[in-house]
Order: sequence, then C-alpha cells, then structure tokens
Amino acid sequence: MNFSLIGALQILFKILIFPGLLFVVVIGLFLAGIDRKLVARMQKRVGPPLRQPWFDFLKLLGKETIVPHAANKAVYLAAPVIGFTGLVVMALFIPVFGYSTFSGNGDLIVLLYLLTIPAVALIIGGSASGSPYAGIGISREMVTMMSYELPLIIILLSVARKVGGSALCFSLGQIVNWQASNGCLAFHPALIPAMLAMLLVIPAEVGTQPFDVAEAETEICEGPLIEYSGAPLAVFKLNTAMKMFIMTALFTNLFFGGVSTASLIGAGIPAIALDAVIMVLICIVVTFLSMSLIHAITARFKIEHLFKFYWTVVAGLAALSLVLVWFGL
Amino acid sequence: MLKNAIAKSMMRSPWIYHINTGSCNGCDIELVAVLTPRYDAERFGFKLAGTPRHADIVVISGPVTSQSKDRLIRTLAQVPEPKCVVTLGSCPQSGNVFKGSYSVEAPVENFVHVDVAIAGCTVKPEAVIAGLYKAAEILEKKREAMNK
Ligand code: SF4
Repeated sequence: MNFSLIGALQILFKILIFPGLLFVVVIGLFLAGIDRKLVARMQKRVGPPLRQPWFDFLKLLGKETIVPHAANKAVYLAAPVIGFTGLVVMALFIPVFGYSTFSGNGDLIVLLYLLTIPAVALIIGGSASGSPYAGIGISREMVTMMSYELPLIIILLSVARKVGGSALCFSLGQIVNWQASNGCLAFHPALIPAMLAMLLVIPAEVGTQPFDVAEAETEICEGPLIEYSGAPLAVFKLNTAMKMFIMTALFTNLFFGGVSTASLIGAGIPAIALDAVIMVLICIVVTFLSMSLIHAITARFKIEHLFKFYWTVVAGLAALSLVLVWFGL
Repeated sequence: MLKNAIAKSMMRSPWIYHINTGSCNGCDIELVAVLTPRYDAERFGFKLAGTPRHADIVVISGPVTSQSKDRLIRTLAQVPEPKCVVTLGSCPQSGNVFKGSYSVEAPVENFVHVDVAIAGCTVKPEAVIAGLYKAAEILEKKREAMNK
C-alpha cells in the first residue's frame, strides 16, 4: 500500500516536474528567449531580454479570448490543449541521456507519431476558426509536414541501422547506451550527413523563420493562428517554445548521447542533474546552429521551394548516410 | 500574484498592429524604422503583429479617408481588450495637408478613442518610441483596472 503510494508520487513527479511538464516549459521558454536574443545580436541589435517569452506568455494570458462567430467553439478551444498534451507526452519519451520515464523497444517510432500531433493541432485549430487565411495556412502546414517527415524517417532509419545492425534498433535508451560505449554518433563519419539533415529538419518542425511559410505573418497574417487571441494563443506560443526544446533534445540524444556523466561520478541524482545541465548546453548550441543562425541570414521560402529543398537536398543528405551505414561504414 | 505578473508583462510585451488609413507612407516608413537595428524597439518587447487579434497597440496613420473609416472602426472592434490606440503623425489628428478634402474624415478622435497621439510630419523615430512606450504604460494601467 505504502509502496504503491510512493510509486504513484514518483510517476506524478516525473510527469509534472522532471522531465515532464515544468522542465520542458521552463527550458523551452528559455531556449526561445536565447533564440530571439541571438538573432538580435547577429543583426547588431540589443534585442529583447531573455525573459521576453515569459512576458509574452503572461501577457497573452491576460488578454480577452475572442471566439469568432464562424468558429466551431469546442474544437477551436481544444486544439491548443491537444498540441500541448502531445508535447508533454513526447517529453516523457525523450531521455535525459540515461534517465527516462518511458522506455521501450519502439519509442523512436512512437515519437515519430507524436511529433505530428502539434502540427495536426495547428491544422485542426486553424480549420475550426473558419478564416480563409487560416485555410491557406493549413494547406501550407500540411505540405511542410510532408516535406520534413521523409528526411526525418530516413535519418532515424540510418541511426537505427548503425546502432542495431541488421536488427534495426528503434529504442532511444539503447541508442544512448550504445553511444556511451562506442562514442557519440556525431563522430562517426557515416552519420555526419544525417546530422546535417537533422539540423535542417529541426527549424521546419518548430516553424522558425525561413521555414515558417505556414505562419507567414506578412503575407497570410499568421495563417492558422489568425483568429486566436488570449489564452489559446498563449498555449500555441508555448507549444512552439516546447517544440524547440524537444527537437533539440531529440537531436542531442541521437547524435551526442554518449556524453552522460553517470559513468564518471556514478549513477544518482547528481549525475542526472549534471546530465540535464550538459543537455541544455548542447541544446543551446543546436538552437544557435539550426534556428538562430539560419533565421538571421535568410528570407522566407516559398512553399514549393521548401518542398523541393527538403525532398532533394535534405532527403539526399539523409539517404547518403543511410547508404553508407548500410554498407557497414 | 499571477494577476500582478500579468499586468507587469502587459507593459513588457506590447504587440503592434498598424493600420494605414490613407497616409502618404511617410509615417509608415518611420514606424518601420523604429524596428531597425538603429532604434531597435524590440528591446522593449515591441513586435509587429500580423493580425488585429494579436495586437495590444493599434497604430493609426493617415487622415482617415471616407473609404477607410468603417474599416478602421471594424478592425478596432476585433482587437481583444485591453488595447491602446496610438495615432501616428499630424494626419489623423487634424487632417494636415489633406484638410478640407471632401474625402477626408480627419480628426480621428471624433469616432475613435485615442490614448496617445504622436505629432510630426513625418514623426521622428525617437518620438514614436516614446509614444509607444507611453502606450505600453497605459496598457498596464488598463489591465490593473480590469483586475479590480
Ligand atoms: S503626417 Fe505627414 S508624413 Fe505622416 S502620413 Fe501625414 S502627410 Fe504623410
């Protein structure tokens, strides 16, 4: 009886605080702040303070929530929550190196499915709002989804083949353990093209500057988000920030999974805390390379160019890795 | 405590929506200049929003032509509370050089509540930043009034 109570509390702690809800929200908003600051510094501006995403989030909570006449109210208000829930569940599947809440044989495949939920939530919310601009945004969001999904699958396939051999390993936990004994995948030459492809998949998944065709505020007035205001908009903005952390954390686990400190100072709470810090540091670097840098130096893609870019250049990079790995490199 | 935090962040993250009601484009350019690296209004959290639903501060430029009057009123009605209205340049205040035209409805105060009026033809970017900052302070006061 007592034992199961402690177990339940532990699970609750994992879901609500670490590595679930609270951790992802705090680090996500922190990364979003860093991204804005870095872009500003690269454009020789002072830039907003690091806490700016917090201010934006709190401010939106304090605004009036308007539901347009043409909207389907229940779906319109549920969509951001669906996306948010999907992201929290996703956070539970992503290990902090050795430490994870859920782990199993196919969690990478589960993640692949969960990754579509925030994008689908955006599509549902946009279509429920009944605005024509949202309609254009939705179709663009779908094309974006199709574009980055193919390279992402090829990347995961090459990682799985490298780690599991012909058995294909789709367990993130095992991938991390394999890297701890065989060195980070980032230093295996065969996987470097896949790593570059992953760096390009992250901004499309999160929807930052050159790949934000679905939410282009200057041409289609923020697309699916056009009618949202107040708290639902705040949740959507939070979703974007959380996606930033989840995608960079996934990258860290896939390619830099071997830098866990557990083997140096022994497993335990200090090791987990240290791992979390190292992971956030790597996430900051990945945010800089994949999002801020590209954001600061490029203008927005057209949707057909985006599709072509992902299915040729990015998918090509990923496929190169897959071929190399398949020949045992 | 949360309500206080919300009121505080009202001032730190005002999103701007800009409506051109027939201006000569001079003031519009100056508003954009405020966001460039030289003046960088983003350090106060200012950001251009793409739709009135996301806006906190609505910036009106131009002498309000008869065609745009209804559209201006309709757009303002779509902005969620609390909101602030700022006029840019002399045109919305008096009609400026367009005064007396049959198609100009100028002073905008006649049919819209204005919180801050920035004068000049064209406005100076420094004046725009000062005016927008004042509007942000008014936003915080409005939110505090809603708390009570
Ligand atoms: S105030 Fe002067 S610069 Fe501004 S819109 Fe009117 S005429 Fe143009």
